[in-house]
Amino acid sequence: MSKKIVLHLVLIALTFALLTACAAPTPEPVKPTVPPASSSSSVASSAPASSSSSVAPTAVPPTVAPTATTPKPTNTPEKAVDLEIWLIPTSSQAPAPADNWIGYKTIKDKLNINLKYVALPTGADGETKLNAAAAANALPDFFETVSTTSERNKLIDLNKQGLVAPVDSLLPMMPTRVKTHYNDPSSFTLANIDGKQMGFVEKPNLPRREGLVIRKDWLDKLGLKMPTTVDELIAVAKAFTTQDPDGNGKNDTYGIGGFFDGSWGGGQRFAFIWGAYGVPDLWNWGDPANFGLSVRTPEFRQALEKFRAINDAKIIDPDWATINRDEFRIRWPQGRYGIMWEDFSALSSPANYAKFDVNFPTGEWVPVPALKGGSGKNYLAAYGSVGIFTAVSKKSMDAGKGPAIAKLLEWMASPEGYYLLGFGVEGVNYKLDKDGVVTTEGLSDPKLAWTDASQQANTQMRNQLIYINDPKEVQARYPSSASKNGRTISQMAFYQFFSTQPWLDSIPGQLILKPSNQADLQRYYNENFQAFALGTKPLNDQTWADFLKGLDANVNAAKWEADTKKLLQDAGVLKK
Amino acid sequence: MFKSFRRDELGFQLLINAFLLIVLLAIVIPLWRVIMTSFTPLDVYMKGGTPMFQLPWQWSLGAYEQLLTHPTFPRATLNSIIITLGGTALSLFLTIPLSYALSTRTLPGRRIIIALILFTFLFHVGLIPTYLLVAKTLGWSNNFLAVIVPPAVGVTNVLVMMRFFEGIPDEIKESARIDGANDLQVLWSIVLPLSKPIILTIGLFYAVYYWNEFFSPMLYLNDQNLQTLPVLLRSILIGQNFSEYVDVDVSQAASIESLKSAAVLLTMLPMVLVYPWIQRYFTKGTLLGGVKE
Repeated sequence: MSKKIVLHLVLIALTFALLTACAAPTPEPVKPTVPPASSSSSVASSAPASSSSSVAPTAVPPTVAPTATTPKPTNTPEKAVDLEIWLIPTSSQAPAPADNWIGYKTIKDKLNINLKYVALPTGADGETKLNAAAAANALPDFFETVSTTSERNKLIDLNKQGLVAPVDSLLPMMPTRVKTHYNDPSSFTLANIDGKQMGFVEKPNLPRREGLVIRKDWLDKLGLKMPTTVDELIAVAKAFTTQDPDGNGKNDTYGIGGFFDGSWGGGQRFAFIWGAYGVPDLWNWGDPANFGLSVRTPEFRQALEKFRAINDAKIIDPDWATINRDEFRIRWPQGRYGIMWEDFSALSSPANYAKFDVNFPTGEWVPVPALKGGSGKNYLAAYGSVGIFTAVSKKSMDAGKGPAIAKLLEWMASPEGYYLLGFGVEGVNYKLDKDGVVTTEGLSDPKLAWTDASQQANTQMRNQLIYINDPKEVQARYPSSASKNGRTISQMAFYQFFSTQPWLDSIPGQLILKPSNQADLQRYYNENFQAFALGTKPLNDQTWADFLKGLDANVNAAKWEADTKKLLQDAGVLKK
Repeated sequence: MFKSFRRDELGFQLLINAFLLIVLLAIVIPLWRVIMTSFTPLDVYMKGGTPMFQLPWQWSLGAYEQLLTHPTFPRATLNSIIITLGGTALSLFLTIPLSYALSTRTLPGRRIIIALILFTFLFHVGLIPTYLLVAKTLGWSNNFLAVIVPPAVGVTNVLVMMRFFEGIPDEIKESARIDGANDLQVLWSIVLPLSKPIILTIGLFYAVYYWNEFFSPMLYLNDQNLQTLPVLLRSILIGQNFSEYVDVDVSQAASIESLKSAAVLLTMLPMVLVYPWIQRYFTKGTLLGGVKE
């Protein structure tokens, strides 16, 4: 027995030896190196005068691929600067770049920066990690202010704690990036707090990318026309539900499919109905004089009555209030819906479309123009998405790393950085066609194509810091494919259609602070909304008035509206 | 089979068996569905979801292939194994002597020590102070010790083990002491050989904890070479969920649900394999030897 015990002890000791050996060495304390003044000033001197101000850069027209030259490495500091950046990765299922990634080497050679990239977990875990680091004053040099609610609010919180540094002084050091990435003042100023630019607002991942689509093959089979109004849409949906549009002899189709995304009211997936009446957003941005919650407008109720009619007529998947996105995306490729709201890439990317194509080779989705409802203005929906918020930690700025961060960001906007971090190595991971569009055609080893799953580690920052949504770039990112019966499925066509529809700009909504009783307010709002929509509660003048009265009496919505209005007036979004 | 029961007993037995059958089904059906989902080919899934039964030759290993061929999967598995083995070894190394000492009723200050241990159980220190201690004071960022050491001693496990040691008759220990053994020798030579069931049981608890631990690695291990299996699997699944925002096709071999199910089963597998081997110790008597009073 004692031999066994000795054996176990030896095993334990060996395990610990292995454990110690496998643990990464504790990183050496950061030894900040302040680049020579000449380095930063030489870059700054080339910046346009307007960029050096502390406010957001002036708007410039959308750009094509970056044309600036790579920052000259001649004035690099003697000792390399260590920079650690934390970002949500573009492909969280792929690893972070390997230690021998060419990007690290190039950044070291060209910029004299030892870059360390850390992929933040998405969702609440990422926020927890950031919060813990913030509490320990151990924030990285440059990071995304990840939050499950609002990255802007997270930036505000970190600013209140004195953990982030103003970046006004860095803007003149990156003239190219200001033109290519920070060229939308309405977005960029969202990171301006008390007159100081406390972070950067990067490019959004393709705004206005969702839209309403309809089964054209069903329309043709039933001899129907493309709907242009909500009433016409309801008529078409009725036919899709009752006239066996797929011809299988079964009553197994719904005119409309969708799901509740957990936001407000019907959520983004059904906002097209409210868009037809001019009130697609929670807030009534279309009528600044009477700014408030859209639910108070007559148009909102008109749209709700239409939505209720759709539910009453049973021409919508009755599970819309309970299924999630994954379930929804199992159902539509099964041919259950004739009309739905979907992301253009989720609809038409080769892999996603193939799931539908295999079941319905002759099926065809086409986009629907923004519907008309009332007599006023109509929208497809509202868009309020902005890019990620990034910040420089005060600790890092105090250590003199600001210029190095600016240099890195500027290089990422240069052609060299843009292509290397966005697509990989030319000739190996991508090629440029005659029009200068990135393509994977003609690569000697297709498995090394930048789009291949194996290469995702090398472009993990592309959606966060690299891409600029230039048309050529979008064309490269979302290529066309062929359906089973030879039709061209163009992702770009869907995106261009959606993005050029009338959308209501609700980006200033990013400024709005959540009320302290958000959970109660939202629950009250949504429960009543669904009761009206699903028909479990009568919808008449009395019940509607009671609902609106309860909004103020029970969950104090009026105060939130008043606070929001004042906030937006102070920010200059609304006139006083 | 019910002939030997009286009528009232038969009713009771039927009730009990019906209840147990429901419990069994409540466990087996979801597990079976997870297994089926993990093997469902993408085209079958997209046509009609997961079938309840599939013939084995219709199964697809696409989900497993996608997970197992992930470039960092081997490294993450090794990291999880290291953490599990190292953590379990350290935990037992600390828990056994502590429990044994506390089981000795003559230990000076025993009640105070137990109260202090219980205090940490009832009043958790919270995330931020722990992070400050582990990451800042001890400097264990990017070090497996940050994952292994803080939870090394589980209060519940200490109390369970302590109660077990208390149940070992004092006569056995006394006889060893009469033969000249000191406390450590009594522990090694007498108590531990009699304590296989509890050591393996508590060891399994620790092993399951370390194997499944997600939060600490996520918090302290920034270096992707130190990434553990739960962190990796979560990243893969989250990535699938956001596939429409990615320009490339992230899933061509399996559905998201298949990947989720395969990930669940892969994570379960080591513990499922170990459990039958240890199970006999769970049900075995608490003493392997003893004396007649």
